[in-house]
Amino acid sequence: MKATVLSVEQLTVYRESYAAVQNVSFSLEEGTDMAIVGPNGAGKSTLVQAILGILPRAAGEVTILGQPLSRTGVLAPRLRQQVAYLPQNFLFDRRIPMTVAELVGLGWDRLGMQLPWAGHKQRRDAIQTALDRVDAGHLGHQLISGLSGGETKRVLLAYCLVFPRRLLILDEAPAGLDMRGESEFYQLLYQLKQEQGWAILQISHDLDMVRRHCDRVLCLNRALLCQGIPEATLSPDNLAAAYGSEFVRYRHVH
Amino acid sequence: MSIQAEATRVIELFQFPFMQRAVLGGVLTGVMGGMLGSFTILRQLSFFSDALGHSALLGISIGLLLGINPSVVLIPFAVAFALGVTYLLERTRLWTDALLNIIYSSSLAIAVIVLSFVGQYKGGINNLLFGDILAVQELDLVFSGLLLIVCIIFIGLTLRTQMLLTLNEPLAIARGVSVTSHRTAFIVLLSLVVAVSIKSIGVLLISGFVVIPACASRLLSRNFSHYVILSAGLGGISAVVGMIISALFNLPSGPSIVVTQLTIFLAAMIAPRVRG
Repeated sequence: MKATVLSVEQLTVYRESYAAVQNVSFSLEEGTDMAIVGPNGAGKSTLVQAILGILPRAAGEVTILGQPLSRTGVLAPRLRQQVAYLPQNFLFDRRIPMTVAELVGLGWDRLGMQLPWAGHKQRRDAIQTALDRVDAGHLGHQLISGLSGGETKRVLLAYCLVFPRRLLILDEAPAGLDMRGESEFYQLLYQLKQEQGWAILQISHDLDMVRRHCDRVLCLNRALLCQGIPEATLSPDNLAAAYGSEFVRYRHVH
Repeated sequence: MSIQAEATRVIELFQFPFMQRAVLGGVLTGVMGGMLGSFTILRQLSFFSDALGHSALLGISIGLLLGINPSVVLIPFAVAFALGVTYLLERTRLWTDALLNIIYSSSLAIAVIVLSFVGQYKGGINNLLFGDILAVQELDLVFSGLLLIVCIIFIGLTLRTQMLLTLNEPLAIARGVSVTSHRTAFIVLLSLVVAVSIKSIGVLLISGFVVIPACASRLLSRNFSHYVILSAGLGGISAVVGMIISALFNLPSGPSIVVTQLTIFLAAMIAPRVRG
């Protein structure tokens, strides 16, 4: 019986005056890859941000790695470190003088009160190992301002990789990459998932990828419309309910 | 006069306690300004630090009006003002730079009007605007020194958190960082540094201490840790060099330090760009 990494019960989140997420319940076991699909404005990002405590929740419970998330979004730091979150559009000011190694190192640090040189050697080794694994070992000393889109995504994967994680939460991970960049990203992501045993919760618009890779799917449009294995869940009826009846599906013929 | 004679005159000048206090005061302010400034410019709070400086004049004038020692009034006033402005900025939908303009223009205007009721301030308004570093007392140095230690401990112990906060707030929140607490702590620290330094540097130039060495450091740094340390270092060095120049050429001290900072910045701009 696999351990439950994330459990969400009757989660409701308000944005402005309307319920962006209504009564959503699901659970995620370790090593499982779950996708959240739905049209724009369905509340997918809101759901994920409420799970992480970034947005306040109006009702419902979230349990991460066995511990409940408090109303104000507080969770034990030790557990927080086992969860990695990559937001949609990783926006940062390109003028900030930070190297790739420093950014990846932020994924390793405990972020409490600590001497700035604490664990220096361990951090350095962990960073180099993570960067080498994502084929970015040569980028360590480069400033983050000089990275291409694809390199940025790989560096963010190194940020996830640099410390043992049990849950990865991705919000439209390959956004901004071209077709080849996207396929390389997913290839690397799923290799790492196999090696590290990550559970993944990801928001995705790419239904073909979801069918091919994901263990479970959640269809969301404010409320939970359906969940289950991709073959069953991504049926024409369910997709019509989620995306609207005018939704047309293309079958790729190879 | 010959260079020899000039140098001797300057060396003799630095034997005087008031001069030594002035240099030490300048260095303490320079290092604190540089250290906090490194985060201030990245978080786009440069204009905010300028507004803080201007508001200090209001704090001082209120102190004079009430007959309380202005230095004592200034510290709580600056902190309360900074927190109040931050709250206002978060609540309204107007543009930050326009709001800050309203705040510092009105602070300055109200302060000058209040001062006109008070009568002649012993140093005159010039000292309030441009500071009087040569009037720095031992007690001022003690306050500055203690504040510097607090800054070093705060930035030193939370460096990685500060880095993540500066980089991307959602990522920081997802890691469990309390963004509001850190933002408040930083604003309080910045307002304390400004309040403590107003006497020596003045209302108009204090933001230069926060912004200029940090910008010069940005141009010369290859990673974040170096950037913060260099910013503090340049702040301190510019204070010493600026004081020497002001002694050599008999120029006003605060402005001399700022001109030194400017020169360092221009040199950093011309220097071959660091490979990224």
